[in-house]
Amino acid sequence: MSDEIRITAEPLDDQRCRFDVSRPVYPSGVRRFGSAADAQGSPLAEAIFAVAGVTEIIVSERTVTVAKQTAAPWPVVGKQVGAAIRAGLSGGAPPVAPEVRRTDPAQDDTLYERVAEIFATRVNPMVAQHGGRVDLIDVQDSTVLLRLAGGCQGCGMADVTLRQGIEALLRDSVPEVAAIVDITDHAAGTDPYFAASKK
Amino acid sequence: MPRPRLLLLLPSTTYRTAAFVEAARRLDVELTVASDHSNVFGAEQPAGLLALDFAKPERAVEEVRAFAMAHPLAAVVGVDDDTAIVAAAVAEALELPHNPFEAALAARDKHRQRVRLAEAGVPVPPFALRRLDEEPDRLARRASYPCVLKPLRLSASRGVIRADTPGEFVAALGRLRRILAAPDAAACGEPARWFLVESFVPGPEVALEGLLEEGRLHLLALFDKPDPLDGPFFEETIYVTPSRLPNQAQAALGECAARAACALGLRGGPIHAELRYNDAGPWLIELAARPIGGRCSQALRFGEGEGRASLEELILRHALGLPIATCERERVAASVMMIPTPRPGVLRAVTGVEAARAVEGIDEVLITAMGQELVPLPEGSRYLGFLFARAPSPAGAEEALREAHAKLGFDIVPPPVDAAPLAHRA
Repeated sequence: MSDEIRITAEPLDDQRCRFDVSRPVYPSGVRRFGSAADAQGSPLAEAIFAVAGVTEIIVSERTVTVAKQTAAPWPVVGKQVGAAIRAGLSGGAPPVAPEVRRTDPAQDDTLYERVAEIFATRVNPMVAQHGGRVDLIDVQDSTVLLRLAGGCQGCGMADVTLRQGIEALLRDSVPEVAAIVDITDHAAGTDPYFAASKK
Repeated sequence: MPRPRLLLLLPSTTYRTAAFVEAARRLDVELTVASDHSNVFGAEQPAGLLALDFAKPERAVEEVRAFAMAHPLAAVVGVDDDTAIVAAAVAEALELPHNPFEAALAARDKHRQRVRLAEAGVPVPPFALRRLDEEPDRLARRASYPCVLKPLRLSASRGVIRADTPGEFVAALGRLRRILAAPDAAACGEPARWFLVESFVPGPEVALEGLLEEGRLHLLALFDKPDPLDGPFFEETIYVTPSRLPNQAQAALGECAARAACALGLRGGPIHAELRYNDAGPWLIELAARPIGGRCSQALRFGEGEGRASLEELILRHALGLPIATCERERVAASVMMIPTPRPGVLRAVTGVEAARAVEGIDEVLITAMGQELVPLPEGSRYLGFLFARAPSPAGAEEALREAHAKLGFDIVPPPVDAAPLAHRA
């Protein structure tokens, strides 16, 4: 196997960019880092937080999603993040620490159960009408990580469903949820319910 | 103090959803999204989601009026040709800042627009309105050549065909009839039974992006279209800004667009205009009371540093009466390629994406049609995706796109025999 680490960057918007990595980054699930302090002990996350402007990192399997609050464009920041990912993967230590340093893991577990219940009883029956599905990936530091699938993946109205539907519903039902992060690869969606056209 | 509520009119097949929703979030307003199909969460979230028939503005007005009794609105924003009309009608009824409904209608209808512009002395190509069911040979004899056949309502060059001879005219008309018989086009009603015959205007074409404020035009960006648009079809590919035309030509184009907007009666909000320039000066080809289509707005950023704003944020700020820091585009050159559809079929795979992303200056490679049925112009209405680049110079921004595009390979397979109609499945 080649030692070369290949990384593909795909900006999701001005603030977020997904990096697909040719090596496993965090095979055991999904983990979110909301601050540099949170990243202590995870070399990959520490290295990425050293890049100016980075505010959030989500790692899962072979994917690293990075959020920034800086005017520097992704082609510039992305190169630095790519170098940081390589540095984080090159050391002897696991790139992401196995234990999750949550501020309140018990609360996250409780939130997970409540959100999962809502997804099962209210969200998924509704999106199923359009052939869609919403997978709850995790709740970390009160942030819900989810992935859209089926007719929702790549759908032209996915952002509306996510923000005006799912987020609003969670805001009403589980006000302790701080934020929702969609880690869907929408470009890979091949069966969107609404496909965008030229105008 | 309650946050202002914005009503955003988003067709279910628009590319612009994410950009507008994100801009609204940045402004921290209460958001209601109205679309032409019910959202599955509509019953759960009645304040945030509405379904409106954009083809029937009068009915939409009544429904929004009832909605606004419980949820007062501060602004209504449409994002495309049809929703711009609905937005004007709704805003007029609710006494919110808006374009006159008549002006929005005139901007939407290519014939009505040309009549108004010609009457106001705005340079437009000579044109004639024709019925689709007239005898083709007779129409061909009456045309002068080269000419362009255009449907009244379709967008993005769909159905626009150049003819240099009577024989080409007859063939083009046959094709246009088939396009306008397609269910989504025929749904336009009466406008789908007519078309325009317009003189072909030679010369480079540009796209102008502007924001009207009390009738005054702020020129946001002037895009060159470096690939020749000489027909027989008019597939748009590359846009590059700033323009490399001489300053005098750019000023004349801006002035022409401003006169056109004024002649149509437009007062506020975004405009997107297509113009040509030749020895006779500027020519107004089209003007729409909406922002640039597709994902192309991603090429535009305004201001520098942390306060940089998207085109959508500018539009929403204007609609809500919020301050706009600047309408000056960032200093670097920017470009976008609407990746053309080379042949009909279904897009199965794309190769070379990583290599394309690695091209210096490339900001983003976005494939938007994976797994979907593709139909080239003049019948089709979908791109394979978009490439975005930024560079110190317009030439560099254009070159980056061409280099990246050359690295992409598209695996397009024949569509299944029982493929669903082109329109979405809802």
